[in-house]
Amino acid sequence: MSSFFPQSTFFGLDLMSTSLQSFSVAENVTGDNIANVDTPGATQQQAVLTEAPPIVGSPFTATHVPGTAGEGVIVSQIQRVNVQSYDELFRGASSSQNYYSTEQQILDSVESQLGDPDDGVSTAYSNFQTAVTQLVNAPASGNTASAAAGVLTSAQALAQSLGNSSQAIQNAESQTVSQGATIVQTVNGLLDQIASLNGQIRSSTAVGDNPNTFEDERDYDIDQLSQYISTQTSIQPDGSALIMVNGQALVNDTVAYHLAAPVIGTSSNGAPSFNVYFATNPPQASNAAGIPLGSGQLAALQDLYNNKLTSYGTQLDQFASTLANEVNRVTQSGYDSNAEAGTALFQPINANLPISAGNIKCGISDAAELPVVLINTEANTSTTTGIVPMNSANNTVDTSAPLIGNGALANPVPVAGFAAGATLTINVDGVNQTFDYSSNPPASPPAAGVISADNVQDFVSTFNALGSGVTASYDSTSQQIVFARDPSNESLALRGAQQGNAQTASFTITDSLYNPATPGTSILGALGAGNINNQLQDGTNDYGEDDNGVANSLTSLFQSNVGFPALETLSGLGAVGAGSTVTVALPQGVNNIQAGQQLTLDAQVGGETSLNAQENVTVSSVSFNPATGQESITFTVQKAHAANFTITSAQTQTLVQQYGQLSTQVGLDTQTATTGTTTQTNLASTIDQERQSIAGINIDEQTQDLIKYQTAYQAAAKTISTLSQLLDTIVTGLGVGA
Amino acid sequence: MMRIATSTIYSEQTLAIENIESQYQLQGQELSTGISLNEPSDDPTIIAQDIEVRNDSAVTTQVSSNLTGLNDLLSTSDSALSSLTSILQSARNLAIEGASDAITSAQRAQIGQQVNQLLAQAIGLANTQYDGKFVFSGTAAPPGSSLVQAVGNPPTAVTAANNIVQQNEELPDGQLVPTNVTLQQAFNLDASNGSPSVFDMLIRLRDTLDNGQTTDESSSQVNVSDQAITAATTIGQLEGTAPPILSVPLASTGNGNVAFTLFSSLTPSAGTTFVFSTGTTMQNVIASINGSTNTTGIVASFNYQTQRLQLNDVANQSFYVSDAKAPSMLATSNFTSAFLLASTGDVVNNLSTQLGDIDNSLTVTLNAAGQIGATVQTVSSLSSTEATRGETDTQVQSNLEDTDIAKVTSQFSLSQTALEAAYQTTTRLEQNDLFDYLGNG
Repeated sequence: MSSFFPQSTFFGLDLMSTSLQSFSVAENVTGDNIANVDTPGATQQQAVLTEAPPIVGSPFTATHVPGTAGEGVIVSQIQRVNVQSYDELFRGASSSQNYYSTEQQILDSVESQLGDPDDGVSTAYSNFQTAVTQLVNAPASGNTASAAAGVLTSAQALAQSLGNSSQAIQNAESQTVSQGATIVQTVNGLLDQIASLNGQIRSSTAVGDNPNTFEDERDYDIDQLSQYISTQTSIQPDGSALIMVNGQALVNDTVAYHLAAPVIGTSSNGAPSFNVYFATNPPQASNAAGIPLGSGQLAALQDLYNNKLTSYGTQLDQFASTLANEVNRVTQSGYDSNAEAGTALFQPINANLPISAGNIKCGISDAAELPVVLINTEANTSTTTGIVPMNSANNTVDTSAPLIGNGALANPVPVAGFAAGATLTINVDGVNQTFDYSSNPPASPPAAGVISADNVQDFVSTFNALGSGVTASYDSTSQQIVFARDPSNESLALRGAQQGNAQTASFTITDSLYNPATPGTSILGALGAGNINNQLQDGTNDYGEDDNGVANSLTSLFQSNVGFPALETLSGLGAVGAGSTVTVALPQGVNNIQAGQQLTLDAQVGGETSLNAQENVTVSSVSFNPATGQESITFTVQKAHAANFTITSAQTQTLVQQYGQLSTQVGLDTQTATTGTTTQTNLASTIDQERQSIAGINIDEQTQDLIKYQTAYQAAAKTISTLSQLLDTIVTGLGVGA
Repeated sequence: MMRIATSTIYSEQTLAIENIESQYQLQGQELSTGISLNEPSDDPTIIAQDIEVRNDSAVTTQVSSNLTGLNDLLSTSDSALSSLTSILQSARNLAIEGASDAITSAQRAQIGQQVNQLLAQAIGLANTQYDGKFVFSGTAAPPGSSLVQAVGNPPTAVTAANNIVQQNEELPDGQLVPTNVTLQQAFNLDASNGSPSVFDMLIRLRDTLDNGQTTDESSSQVNVSDQAITAATTIGQLEGTAPPILSVPLASTGNGNVAFTLFSSLTPSAGTTFVFSTGTTMQNVIASINGSTNTTGIVASFNYQTQRLQLNDVANQSFYVSDAKAPSMLATSNFTSAFLLASTGDVVNNLSTQLGDIDNSLTVTLNAAGQIGATVQTVSSLSSTEATRGETDTQVQSNLEDTDIAKVTSQFSLSQTALEAAYQTTTRLEQNDLFDYLGNG
């Protein structure tokens, strides 16, 4: 038997003492874990038990080498269990989750306040349309006043609904700004805390401590930060964390870079823009690029303001503007029951501002002032100021028979036909529209802007194709040609030429050839309409109180595609070749054109040959010059266009379709936010579950550890007791022996 | 095996319960409302269509209501025109009765009184209203209580506050539905061919019966279609045939002159012969005849609108007209046949001629009634179309909005079960941890 190296009498007691200390520490760590099982951000810590370093070899024995015998246990480290990569994954998901949930909250609110489809603008618009439909029937039902009052009531309700919706969107916009300011305060607080913790962690690390709790707190703060803004975290060798948002430092060591409260500037296309800047680096211009926020609540608020709410507001304003433009165009073309020229049904609340969803009201309060009548020359039965039957004696005019030499006419056209250069000038809305006419039959296909007066039916069809704002018809009973004001038959060209002119309820037709002495030498004379040549047709000489022309025209409007938004004709444009890509600066103040919108080129007044160049184009991009405040649009043409070609809004949608488009957009955005919230919440939860599976505290585990360390402690204590007994035996025995 | 942190157990359970509760609430809402499309985000792909369908449905409902009202209006108009037709048929019968040689002047006058009653009834029908509106006023809205008012008693004329604009009602599909016929269309008022209105026709008929007015009038218009006699038209032109103006051109009798003779009560034997040369205008023909009224007792007029020549005896005595051969003429003229005159101007002939006017009025009224009838049919068809459209809208709206009750009920039940299971699971998970057993140990 080899001899064993000698050890101190109390070696065993010392060894077990360190064990007791170690297990006590481990129990404390476990207790800390249990205490923090519900503490947000707390990770599990582990007391790393390590065999104590062996005692250096004894000088009393050559056989002794370190490690031959155990020297006990020590706690070498209190380890923080954490995987940084999971933290980053979780924060990314958390940012997205908060991004979508914030969008969902606000969009849910907006969607609810818009009220579709049961309430809101769509319902109010339906009610308005229904009231107009009732007005259509008023002459038949005999309750014009009541139907007119119904139209006014529904128009008021529609304007109110538009105002409410506009207010809801504006409130949401305000909410994003105020909520953004609150979040910025929270973010700045977090940045300060992180910077402070960086300092504490760096100091602890420098002296060899394990600043686990500080790191927990810092990670938790970064977790919190990621709810508001995208973060990228890089742990530095000194233990500090570099926090960045899309490459720009938020916290570097102990320095926090505060954000400034959001400001509303302008985007590249001139639209209002929600931006966040560093407090130390304020924007130099209203359109200066802000911090790219990435994801999180603050980014969601930015996206809501810039890309959703502003767009909703613009679309709603455009709907209100288009509605007002189109409806007013009809009502201002009519006369009320007092024979007064019609006024705009929808008017701005603030007359200094254009009509928008938030600046619209029903401008008529008295049902008697609602325009209902459109001028119809047949209503004037005077033989001196009105149109007279065109037939001769008891003859009946064959509308397909030539006008030349037609004995059925009281004033047949001479054999030579109408003289060259004959024109009809129709004045509507302050615009003189001059059209050539002749006694020739229509070309095949019919030439645009030319009246073919070879017979009555060709005259009517070619006249009506002009889109002059006046429609012709033939009444076989009265043998009369009838001219009626018709706002439903106004070409884009006329509307473009109208520019700032007020819509007129009256009209004038002037025949360049009319001579009372030889009526048959002109088309108006031949058709029995010589009395109205160059005579204003208005409420003083043509009026049928029970006419429902306005309501009929509104009914037609509701089913028609309209321009969205209405863009008036531009002028002063240079010639462009086929296939060219054209960039055009819009008039000052016109900044409501969006990429993807359709415009019509070369819808001109009159019979210009360039009408053949008419085409629709799609706006490919929109740019905005902040220095001049001018917006430019770019599009590609298929056809060549001569200098001074015109641009007008293409009429592509009905009003209800326009509003449906807005509703669809709101629905899609809300649904995307809802789906994104669900998806990202589940994703964040899954990642967090993974993260917690490593770093989280499990109460059962900790209980087991508690029991384990308790048992070990008890065993160590028992060992000490046994050693004590051994010593007692020796000491006591020796004592007794002496 | 995956390690589970204690906090994960709670957070996962909470999340699971929240997800299920969210579904549960949504499904409950769908079941309680029966609607799955409550907000645009419920299905953004169909919300625009839904808004359009709702809009169309609301308007269609109103259009259907309009058409019902319109049908009532048209029925009123139709009823008035039916009554007018009866009046005109009665007038015709009375005219035939009055034209009999067997009745006396006094009996004719009594018949005239009956015609006067018919006139009053016709005026009453012209003032027919529906819901306070005159149905034959065109687009005019007479301020008083009458659209048509009689002038004098007995009426010698009527005044009307109408216009001739036919009212139309535009449907959402752009179709124009006429909602009325005008006085011109129904009562031939201010006819473009100059024919007398129902009122003028009845007044003349009454006066003829009352007074025994003797008249010889062209039985119909004398011109051919697409030609007309004017005041400046000469006898020579009426003899021409390139193109002919008269349906029976005046025959040239050698020197181109035309002659005819009037035998009236003042000149029963010799008569008075009028000779017109080729250059004599129609205006001069009338002036020439009227220049001899003191001799003949006959007044002539030519209605350039109706293209009819009329000869009246101012003393309401019978007279005769015959073609004549003037000196130096080769043959007898055809004046009476060219101007479609009967050989005798008397009450009977007068009444017979007026039968044509009655028939014309009847035709006009029947045409108007036919137009109303056609419109009623159109309205009926449109009502059916609108009803179908409304049903289609309802069906489409239902397809877009309504909840699939069976499916959602099943899902609701499943969610309820899942929620109960989640509650149970959470409760049990909360109950089971190692600490619970430490005390027992």
